[in-house]
Amino acid sequence: MKKKFLATLMVATMAFAMVGCSTDGAATDSSKSGGDSTQTAQSEEFNPDTEKDSMTIEEVREKFGDVPVKSGLKLGAVEKSLTNEYWRTLQTGYEEAADMISKASGVDVTVDVDGTTDESDETGQQTMVENMTNQGCNALMLSPISDSNLTAAVENAKDAKIPVYNVNDGVIATADYYAGPNAYQNGQLAAEWISNKLGDEGQVAIVIGMAKAFAARERTSGFKDWIADNNSKLDIVAEQNADWDRQKSKDLAATWIQQYPDLKAIFCNNDDMALGVVEAVKEADKDILVVGVDGIGEAYDSIRDGGLDATIDSFPYYTARVAMECTLRALAGQDMPRVVATPQALIDSTNVDKDAAEIIGWEDANYVAE
Amino acid sequence: MKHIFDKYKREIVVFLATIVMGMIFTAMNPNFLSWNNILTVFQKMVLNGVLAAGIMFTIITAGIDLSIGCTFAITGIAVAMCCVNGVPPILAIVVGLLIGVVAGAFNGFLVTNLKLQPFIATLGTMSLYRGIAYVVTGGTPVTNVPDSFRNIFNGKMFMGIRYYVLVMIVVFVIAHIILSKTRTGDNLYAVGGNEEAANLSGVNVFKTKYIAYIVCGVCASIAGMIMLASLGSAEATAGLTYETDAIAAAAIGGTAMAGGRGTALGTFIGAFMLAVLKVGMVVINVDSFWQYVVTGIIIIVASYFEFIKADFEAMLARRKNA
Repeated sequence: MKKKFLATLMVATMAFAMVGCSTDGAATDSSKSGGDSTQTAQSEEFNPDTEKDSMTIEEVREKFGDVPVKSGLKLGAVEKSLTNEYWRTLQTGYEEAADMISKASGVDVTVDVDGTTDESDETGQQTMVENMTNQGCNALMLSPISDSNLTAAVENAKDAKIPVYNVNDGVIATADYYAGPNAYQNGQLAAEWISNKLGDEGQVAIVIGMAKAFAARERTSGFKDWIADNNSKLDIVAEQNADWDRQKSKDLAATWIQQYPDLKAIFCNNDDMALGVVEAVKEADKDILVVGVDGIGEAYDSIRDGGLDATIDSFPYYTARVAMECTLRALAGQDMPRVVATPQALIDSTNVDKDAAEIIGWEDANYVAE
Repeated sequence: MKHIFDKYKREIVVFLATIVMGMIFTAMNPNFLSWNNILTVFQKMVLNGVLAAGIMFTIITAGIDLSIGCTFAITGIAVAMCCVNGVPPILAIVVGLLIGVVAGAFNGFLVTNLKLQPFIATLGTMSLYRGIAYVVTGGTPVTNVPDSFRNIFNGKMFMGIRYYVLVMIVVFVIAHIILSKTRTGDNLYAVGGNEEAANLSGVNVFKTKYIAYIVCGVCASIAGMIMLASLGSAEATAGLTYETDAIAAAAIGGTAMAGGRGTALGTFIGAFMLAVLKVGMVVINVDSFWQYVVTGIIIIVASYFEFIKADFEAMLARRKNA
């Protein structure tokens, strides 16, 4: 009987010892696999961040010129989680782009936008896409919840000869085209900014979001690779997951601040987590740079108030415009590249009050009736 | 001494295991035992602890409340809206508590008057309450909660201890008193142990269950307000999956899922153990993916203590006889 008790204690201790051993290994492993994953992705599967057949929207315009618009086009867009500000802004972007294009070209273009209520309704999203296909949309713009949940729906659309634009986040390998911000570059921009601010030395930490769609993984590896590629003296002392949850990221940062008194900067995979970290930094009364990704309204407010230091905004409003422009180009038979990278920029106290169009130098393309 | 030992064997075993864990963490990084880090552990356990104290009541009645994370979010949003619109903090807190009462009472109504299975009923309210949170906010977070509210929970007392840690301890003390010193406590255990028998012996089963779910709802709303004070903003997605950690804390602390058994002290130690584990793994820098593996193993091993408790008892008896 006593033995059994001891055995259980042993198991518990062993579990810890095992984890203890794996800690060092895991740390080096993960830094290695960060580099590896981009390489394997390059050679084996489609990765929009490393795809060769990729252009910026400026390059597209230079090559193809005006956007011809057929009369009476009906486009369908399916997003995820309309409870999230990012996707709601994308929705507004689509709707206002359709109005703008109708006015500019003089022919009617309409867009139907639908989205799931949360980020887990994978089959519900599939049904929405199939519904749009059946309703006779001329083209689809899709933002999938995962890399795989819309695969079958995209096959259906292809059978119905409907071009599919994959707009950001989940990556549909079988879609014809992809438009979205370069998530890998998000991380690079953040690392570069932090390096400039800190004179390229000091301890940094990364709060990651559990990677379901590939954006989170890419943001982290972009950040790490920039440091490695530039022989930066920034020292990544910790990297942990906080489930995209603000409270959890605050708790995490509070622990780090105790453990690493010399911590100089924290990079977070999104703004929500970054705003949690800001609270922890404020409470500890420390001077630590906090950088997020997404550019949500609250992040802008926090930058104005001197809380958050920077965010990388990928401008969902303009992502929608680019996606719609490219969709119309594809419908008009222009030979679009596999990937169009949409505009993004780092926002800090120097440009937080500037107009987004000014920051990215946005101008609308010339739309002409076909 | 013997009496206390008998009564709290389970709690003592889990507590000792937690101490062993803490020693391992300290051996790997001495910083783990710094006062500031100990404070972090207690701050980390507060939300889960308060939620676990509440869900323990429903589990003792052989029920469950899956909607706590959503009550948590709704309370945060409502109280944030009150504060931002100039409602005095004390009044806002009353509003928050009332939301907990209403949310809990509705769960109670579903499992008693409508005789729904607690798991199904609260699965429904989980979606319902979350939906309300989305509808009310339109998905936009409520921000800029004034310090007059935040300081009530988030302010520091002495030695860096924040008031919300005190709030958690008060919640557990009240829970302990209800469960071990009152007729209501006896009724809760009786209903969870054998509902039929409790009914026959004159226990008001409906009323008892209502109390359990209302206590649970109120705890969720207290946790929601602590979260609001800690972050200064509230959003509809707050508290997602928090119910799982709360259930784990209660289970590790010896609350029987079949009902009829569980103590406030046990749940407190369960939440403490999880907090030590989570902070400890960050301190010794365990890879994020591995943390899930370790947490799972610990929950299973800790629940296994349930079975070795009998052995432990036998061992003590032998010692005494020898």
